[in-house]
Amino acid sequence: MTIVTLSGASLLVVLATWIVYFAKVPSGNVPARPVGSILAQFAGIALAVAAVVVGQPSGAAAWGAMVPAAFGLLMALVFLWLLTQRKTPIGDLKVAVGDTLLSFAATSSDGAAFHTDDLLGKRTLLKFFRGGW
Amino acid sequence: MKSDLDAYGVSVIALSKDSVVDAAVHKRRDGLNLTLLADPELKVIRQYGVEHHKAVEFSTMSFTLFGMPLALVPSFKVMAIPTSILVDERGKILWIDQSDDYRLRSDEDMVRQAVREAFGGQG
Repeated sequence: MTIVTLSGASLLVVLATWIVYFAKVPSGNVPARPVGSILAQFAGIALAVAAVVVGQPSGAAAWGAMVPAAFGLLMALVFLWLLTQRKTPIGDLKVAVGDTLLSFAATSSDGAAFHTDDLLGKRTLLKFFRGGW
Repeated sequence: MKSDLDAYGVSVIALSKDSVVDAAVHKRRDGLNLTLLADPELKVIRQYGVEHHKAVEFSTMSFTLFGMPLALVPSFKVMAIPTSILVDERGKILWIDQSDDYRLRSDEDMVRQAVREAFGGQG
């Protein structure tokens, strides 16, 4: 019983944080320092470890009850690893304020040809983004 | 946000490493009302020096959770560093904002303020 409770709690804690955190992604409102989410991942890991230490699983059924904890542990580690990847290598930017836009040609999503000359006479916010997912 | 930009006659052009087809899918799926440019060969991204060499990307899966597309398979890809560049009618760069954390975008208030400071007197 202890194993089921701790194991389930591990997955629940991690899953709940994932849902709360990633629901903010489409609107771009993720916190700069997701302290709560990080603590919750550690709580999930602690619960998974506790399920083993306290519950001392033996036999197929007990290890089966550890499956949620395994998912909780894996997801927590993925979340923490992802956060370590967050920094971008800025500093190579080839333009500065006061410069003229570097001229380029590209194709738009509707297949039309685009050239920076098209922007002359227009105020523009040029955004580089990571792409759809 | 869009109305603020409209008020100052600023149009938004967004460029990513997506192909024309992917960009079209993205635009339709998210109902985007702006020009999306495709730079799958990273020509423009490299020209501007906004290349993120080893960025984590999650490839899109075909199922959704609470209406949100789920992407569960991580891989390293080259893509653009989130960067905003405000340009006037003559192509002169008035403001640049670059994210040192790919999770974060230019703050809307910051963009609004930059547009207001750049064009406020002549808007």
